[in-house]
This record gives sequence, structure tokens and C-alpha cells, in this order.
Amino acid sequence: TQASGSLNNDYIIFSRDDSMFSSSTKERAKALKLKVELHYNQSVAHAVERNQRRVELEQELASEARMSEERKNRRRQQLGKQESSFLRLRRLRLTADDFLTVKVIGKGAFGEVRLVQKKDTGKIYAMKTLLKSEMFKKDQLAHVKAERDVLADSDSPWVVNLFYSFQDAVYLYLIMEFLPGGDLMTMLIKYEIFTEDVTRFYMAQCVLAIETVHKLGFIHRDIKPDNILIDKDGHIKLSDFGLSTGFHKTHDQAYYQRLLENTSTPPSEQQTSRPRNSVMVDAIHLTVSNRNQINTWRKSRRLMAYSTVGTPDYIAPEIFLHSGYGQECDWWSLGTIMFECLVGWPPFCAEDAQETYRKIVNWQTQLYFPDEIQLSPEAEDLIRSLITSADQRLGRHGAEEIKAHPFFRGVNWDSLRSIDAPFKPQLTSITDTSYFPTDELENVPERPEVAAARANAMSQQPTQIGEETGLPFIGYTYTRFNRLSRQGGL
Amino acid sequence: MPNSPTGPRVAAKPLFLCKPFVTSQLVKGSFSTIVVLPKYVDQGEWLALNVFEFFDMLNRFYGVINEFCTPRNCPSMSAGPGLDYTWLDANKKPMRLPAPTYIEYVLQWINNRINDETIFPTKAKGGFPQSFEQTCKGIYKQMFRIFAHIYHTHFDKILHMSLEAHFNSLFVHFIHFSRTFNLLEQRDLEPLRALIENFEEQGLFKDG
Ligand SMILES: Nc1ncnc2c1ncn2[C@@H]1O[C@H](COP(=O)(O)OP(=O)(O)OP(=O)(O)O)[C@@H](O)[C@H]1O
Repeated sequence: TQASGSLNNDYIIFSRDDSMFSSSTKERAKALKLKVELHYNQSVAHAVERNQRRVELEQELASEARMSEERKNRRRQQLGKQESSFLRLRRLRLTADDFLTVKVIGKGAFGEVRLVQKKDTGKIYAMKTLLKSEMFKKDQLAHVKAERDVLADSDSPWVVNLFYSFQDAVYLYLIMEFLPGGDLMTMLIKYEIFTEDVTRFYMAQCVLAIETVHKLGFIHRDIKPDNILIDKDGHIKLSDFGLSTGFHKTHDQAYYQRLLENTSTPPSEQQTSRPRNSVMVDAIHLTVSNRNQINTWRKSRRLMAYSTVGTPDYIAPEIFLHSGYGQECDWWSLGTIMFECLVGWPPFCAEDAQETYRKIVNWQTQLYFPDEIQLSPEAEDLIRSLITSADQRLGRHGAEEIKAHPFFRGVNWDSLRSIDAPFKPQLTSITDTSYFPTDELENVPERPEVAAARANAMSQQPTQIGEETGLPFIGYTYTRFNRLSRQGGL
Repeated sequence: MPNSPTGPRVAAKPLFLCKPFVTSQLVKGSFSTIVVLPKYVDQGEWLALNVFEFFDMLNRFYGVINEFCTPRNCPSMSAGPGLDYTWLDANKKPMRLPAPTYIEYVLQWINNRINDETIFPTKAKGGFPQSFEQTCKGIYKQMFRIFAHIYHTHFDKILHMSLEAHFNSLFVHFIHFSRTFNLLEQRDLEPLRALIENFEEQGLFKDG
């Protein structure tokens, strides 16, 4: 079978041949390779981090001249306890069964978001589920990994915290902090338009949040009102890095394509643009007196959020034009959101996605400020300096440029997260979901292809002990030391 | 007793002892950074995590070769010529089992222990039992046997899949850990003694 012979006493020529292996075994072998590599990289990283924490403690203790040796030892033991419980968490294998669903609070292209309670601790989280088979089809693997990495790596107050992630045969699960205030899309549906002061507050917070993402080395690419979440104090956090790109190898689409070569993957489905279900609305003819029409647009806007196509309303033209793009594309999105906050609809909203694309690409002639709506010159100027070509766009040299714009005059950037928010959620309990369209969500039918994929995955054989299904999700199980110890973790 | 390198047929030197495979390693440098008990950390917790992770990875390696580890190819749990492991039945009577059956029993047996809250506690409050170290030794001994069976019987498959660097490094790590925490008896190591000595000569167990 094998062509092996000895050259000298113990040097062997061995011709490798994997044709005798089944394709599932080959996949397992590839996954195992990555798993082992990841394991050793992480083991070393953990050891280094552990050491750092110890050195930091020792430095702190050394500077405490008056602290008794006994107390210092207690501090060391304390660190040891923390480290030990972190080790224990790494053996924890959470499953969906460890959580009780309180309510479905959000829906997206590849899954849903639920308010859940951890059974043993009673703690509340938001759990996002993503159907693995659907993402596979849609080339979303890299996106998910990217989303996880951004969420995980940042310790920022502007980004939704991720506590834990795991998977089963059907879904990936992200356990995040629950933000009870809903999202900016829901808020815009409710209030229709904001005053300039309110708009200034949200835009200023968004500037800091986007700046954080950029400083982490990422481009969000998908900033839209549905991804701007509101915490219990009414401050914002960004979620959903589903489309963000980073510089890790595993963020690269081609990386997964290579991994998945030789497997029988059907070419990813062509994304067909689905027309908006209801009324045709042309932004140019829209006036304040057309409130009913706008409201209908808003309703379809929400349906849009649940569809796979998503809404292109906030996406910068250079992304469609494949001419390359950089972090400044997020500032375009911010401009369109600001327009929506003040005007009541996004600047390029149209009957269908195709038409929106067309308008965005032709933004020079299509950006239009309705006469009936009075904007301050500063507000209009800021919007115009964001919704403009990439090489002219404010923010292309960094967020400072935007912070210095006259629209933000008087904003104290350093204390922005501690000031009172214009709308503070009135909550009756930690599981209050009144800021989420839960009734509406109950009536959103599951897309047939999602239902079919789920049924199909469920009917498959249970997997072997400890085996994770699917190739690129290895390493998906995630916990973070600092977060878990500081916030009481799971 | 397993074969010794000075057996009648020198050509039968096991594949895993041959160059270039015996010098193939994924991990360069000393394992001691990730083996020694971190300062102030509870030893039970450290053992538990490492045993858990070794099991997880060994199980995956077995998953790669198991379509070739059949009762026909492997009628006994062998670890080289002349050495067959036997399974003790409920009455402690040794039984000869085909390797796949033996290994399946072992994996299940270990899995049951690792998922037993009273032995491997995962909840915030639970402590380790008195017998925890003993349990780890038992698990370690069985895991070693699976390593031995794969090395002696299925190493060619590891090569066909280009996994030898990964497998060797896992094994070096496994042995380094067992030495540090005294988890294996000298006589348990016999079937892979030549390999361990070879790794030793290469300096793979060096500290620091
Ligand atoms: N951590 C959270 N706390 C509270 N609500 C959340 C949280 N995460 C998401 N949501 C709600 O769920 C909705 C959908 O979530 P999200 O946008 O993350 O998923 P998605 O739409 O599936 O993502 P994608 O844009 O990749 O399709 C959000 O608009 C928000 O209302």
C-alpha cells in the first residue's frame, strides 16, 4: 500500500496518500490540526497573561510599604483563587439547556436574539443564535469568527460584552450582556424624528463607539440603527460585527474558502433582492404631511431587518463599487443615520434595494434635504461632510475631525458616557422587554429555508463524544478572564 | 513485553522511530511554561483542566484513525509486538477485546468521569474528592495506552494525514505533564520507552 523503504538505517521515504480516507475523516483531520495549533497558541498566551497578572500584583504589593506580609499573602491567595476559578470555567461546557428562554427580542438574517436566564445562577443574558448551515451557504463563517473576535477582544463600554460562546450541531450561540433599552431603529420608529439636541447626543456617542472599533483595527461596515443598542441608562453600545473585517487570518474569506475546498459546498446562493413588502415610497416626494406613508415605510423597514438581504440604506457607495474602502465608510453610515434622526427617513430610501443602491452610487444628485424640515446649518453641513466621497469625507483622518465639527460644539467628549441620556428606559424588572417588539416578533414567520436547514440538521446523527461539528468553528468556545472575574461571570 | 530495538528483524523498526518523523514537532521550545503549576493556583484545578484537554485532543486523534481501527485490523488492543492490553471485566477478570472495542470503552469510561460533577466539579462551590489524584492517574494510564496503540498500529495513517508533528507534540506535552505530576509509573511507559528516550535525547523535555 505505501511506498516506503529505508534509505539508510533509519531514514524513511514515505509517500503520503490520503485517498483511502473518507471525506469526513479528512475534514476531521484538518479541523484537528487547527484545533491543536490553536490550543498551543492559546496555552502559551494564557500562561503569559497569567504571569502578567501576577507580576502586576507583585508590583502593587511592593509599592504598599505599610501593608503587612500577612495581608500581602492574602492578596496572593486571592489571585490564586481567581486564576483557579478561571481554569475551572474552561472546563465548563455550556449548552443551550443551561438557559431558559424568557422571550425572543430580536431577529436577524441568520438567527434570533433571545432574553435568557441562566438556570443555576438566575442571571440574565441576551443569547444570539446563528444557524450554522445557513452561514455556511452564505459565506458567513468568517463573519461570525470576526464578530466573536471583536466582541471578545474589546473591553470597551461602547461595544456589547460577550461572555461565552458555544455550539451544537445546529447553532452557534453567543451569550452577551442584555441591553434592555432596545435599539435605535425601534426608537426611531417610536419617536419618528429627534430634535437636534437629542440627535447630537446619539451621534456623539456613536462617534466614540465607532472610534473604539476603528482603534481595535476593525471596520464595522454595517453601522445601522438596528445595531445601535441602548443600555439601562439610555447610553448606546454597538452590536453585530457580522460584517466587520479585521486583520486576523481567520477574518479572511479566502481563508475559509481554502479550508472548505474539496468539500461539496454548493456555490453560495445568489442573494436575490427582495422587494419591500409594502408601499412604495420615494424619498424625494416624501413630505411631513405623508406621515402615514412614512410609518408604513417604517414597518417595512423592520421587516427588512429580518430578511437576509438586509437594508443597504446605510452602506457607503465605495463598498458597492468594489473600489476598495477603509474605515471612513463607517462615517458615511453615521451621516445617513444622522439624516434619518433629523429628517425621519434615511437619505436614499427607495422602493427596493436595487433602487437604493442606485441612489447611493449617485449620491451627488440623490442627496436631498426636504424643504419642510428645518435643519441648522451646522447639522446640514455635518451630514454633507459625511455623505460625500471617501477622499473628501470628514473623519478620514480620524474621529477627532468629526468631534471638532461645529455641530458638536459644547460636547464634553470625556464625560459623554456619564451624562444623563435623553431617553432613559423605564424598567420594571431585569427581564423587562417592553422596549422590544416582542409581539411583532412572534408573528414573524421563520423563513422556509431556515426552517428546512434547522429540521435537516436536527435529524442528523448525534455526533461522537466531544466532537464539534463543522470545520471552521473550532475555538469558538470562548470565555474571558477579566470579564468573568470582574463582572461575576456566569 | 514489547519489542526491543535489537529484535531479530532490524528492518521492523517502528515507523514512529524513523527519521524524519521522530524529529517532527509542532511545538518548538520547552513545554514547561505550560506544564508547571502556575503560582498560587490550586493543583486539583490544574490537573483537572489538563486531563480534560488531553482527553479532548486524544479523542480527536482517535477520531481520525478510527475508520481503520476495526475488529478485523485490530483484533486485540496491541501496543507493539507481543504486547496486548486486556480489559478487566466487572469481576476483575482480564478480557481480550478488539482494539476499537477496548478504546471505545476507555473513552466512554473517561468521559463519564470527566463529566461527573462529584469527580470533576465545574460549579462554583464543588471541591475535588480525596481520590482525585488517583482518578487522574487511572485516566492517564488508559490514555497512554491509546497513544501506544496509535503509535504502534496506526502511525502510517497519522503520516498520510500529515499529523505527525501535532501528534508528537501532544505526546511530548503529555509525558512532560505526567513527569511533573507523577501520573504514570515507569513500567506503564514501556511500550513507548524507545520513543520517549529518543525525545529525551533531542532535549524535548528540558526545563525552561
Ligand atoms: N445584547 C443585546 N441585548 C438586547 N438586545 C439585543 C442584543 N443583541 C441584539 N439585540 C436585539 O436583536 C436585534 C437583532 O440583533 P443583531 O442585529 O445582533 O442580529 P442580526 O440582525 O441577526 O445580525 P445580522 O445583521 O448579522 O443579520 C437587534 O436589533 C436588537 O434589537
